[in-house]
Amino acid sequence: MKYYIKLGFVLFIITAIASGVLAYLNTITQPIIEENQRVAQEKARKEVLPSAVTFEEVVGELTYHIGKDTDEQVVGYTFVASLYGYSGDVKTMVGINTDLIIEKIKVISQAETPGLGANCEKLEFQAQFSGKQKAEMKVDKDGGTIVSLTGATITTRTIANSIRSAMDKLNIPTEETDGEVE
Amino acid sequence: MTLFKEFTKGFIKENPVFVMALGLCPTLAVTSSVVNAIGMGLAATFVLVFSNIFISLIKNLIPSKIRIPAYIVVIASFVTIVDMMMHAYLPAIHKSLGLFIPLIVVNCIILGRAEAFASKNNVLRSVVDGLGMGFGFTLALVVIGGIREVLGAGQFLGINVLPESYQPMLVAILAPGAFIVMGLLMGLMNLKKKK
Amino acid sequence: MEFVGKILFMAVMAIFVQNFVLMRFLGLCPYIGVSKKLDSALGMGMAVIFVMTMASTFTWLIHTYLLVPLHIEFLQTIAFILTIASLVQLVEMVIQKTAPALYKSLGVFLPLITTNCAVLGVAILNIQSEYNFILAILNGLFAGIGFTLVLILMAGIRERLERAELPVSMKGMPISMIVAGSMALAFLGFSGLKF
Repeated sequence: MKYYIKLGFVLFIITAIASGVLAYLNTITQPIIEENQRVAQEKARKEVLPSAVTFEEVVGELTYHIGKDTDEQVVGYTFVASLYGYSGDVKTMVGINTDLIIEKIKVISQAETPGLGANCEKLEFQAQFSGKQKAEMKVDKDGGTIVSLTGATITTRTIANSIRSAMDKLNIPTEETDGEVE
Repeated sequence: MTLFKEFTKGFIKENPVFVMALGLCPTLAVTSSVVNAIGMGLAATFVLVFSNIFISLIKNLIPSKIRIPAYIVVIASFVTIVDMMMHAYLPAIHKSLGLFIPLIVVNCIILGRAEAFASKNNVLRSVVDGLGMGFGFTLALVVIGGIREVLGAGQFLGINVLPESYQPMLVAILAPGAFIVMGLLMGLMNLKKKK
Repeated sequence: MEFVGKILFMAVMAIFVQNFVLMRFLGLCPYIGVSKKLDSALGMGMAVIFVMTMASTFTWLIHTYLLVPLHIEFLQTIAFILTIASLVQLVEMVIQKTAPALYKSLGVFLPLITTNCAVLGVAILNIQSEYNFILAILNGLFAGIGFTLVLILMAGIRERLERAELPVSMKGMPISMIVAGSMALAFLGFSGLKF
């Protein structure tokens, strides 16, 4: 019995020392990790809504950010559209202006097939979303105006549909519509 | 064995991947691009070397019955350290290696070397063994990664190396390609061993 | 009813579309080592299903009720692998008592379930995918089934391969890898399966 207690004790000591070292390292690296993530998100927001200087978060069914310029005028909104694609969630940062027309999109997270669906990260593909509205957010096969990637209709459809359903959930208070996005 | 031989045995003669067939999971998963291969190789080598050092240092303090759990705790600690460091300072590579960073802890190479070598040799030899095996592992990863990236994407380290007209063999960077390239390379190693 | 649909979807995903061995590259070491004979493959598969399901259960509980409340998520790797090691130890003792023949045929591969990347892999994936308790257990179960399925298929093929005429350098590991590649190619056909 005493033998087993000794075994357990040695293992406990090793684990305790390990935990201590890791806890210390965690306090150093955790802030850096969080800062990195914050900066990356901020950068993505600026990319999809270049005319905005500051962003104000609005939490809701779909959390979005209000983009304002240097004169504190609202220039648009940014939000993240997410939907399960071919082999994982595809997350897209979308920037729309005050007329609810898409300024730019940026795919910020995907795990689609390299060479096919993964090409959704290419700027040439993403460029076609600019200037379009919610009603057009469908793949051409489904009646919309989004041209599919070669051999990656599913990924394209995912992005288009995710943007459309995100915009459905967007609750932007405007004078006429009183909080409903048309 | 001389110290130098101890170091170089991991390159070819006792290459952990091709000869001992250890560490296969990460090998097939991260070799879709050379940069991932190097990242994983270096991370694993770091864990291997430091685990070897610590285990060699405390080998006489650990009762034999709990040595495997003890080694696991040491290895898991260094894996967590690598994980934290990469997440903070190399976020892009951390993201592409993803799940396989914590999985370094079950990389048979590391536990294998701890049990077979570090627990029976002094610190210096353990360091050398760790470096050699780690380098051999990285070498294997880069070779496989190189083949897969060039065939599957026409690139090496993200730089186009094949003419524009080359239609990439996508299968090379997908799952089946990994297995097939691996099988062919292992066959090649066997051929070389016989000579 | 929608819940049943979701479970079915999950099962199809884990077993076929994102098969742990052929698509995610998890669980390869035992896959190559044990799949030589059909009956030991079956025994190994059962043991792995049990360990993966149990591991998913306990690691989820530890994560949710210990790591998160105490803000020590960074200890996940250590905590999980120690949990798995203990579980495997337990399973080993149980099998030794209840089915000594199976214990003998599995040999060294039973304790090696600890280093089976698939077990730790599914535990981490459950947390990453933010599954609730039931889904985590089910995912572990389905992943294990997927692993066993592929293991049995491989064993069947390898038993035939023993009698095939192959160049000597390709015998054993190399041809197994290529067979795995062909299977992976077949499973690739499941991609995009959605309902």
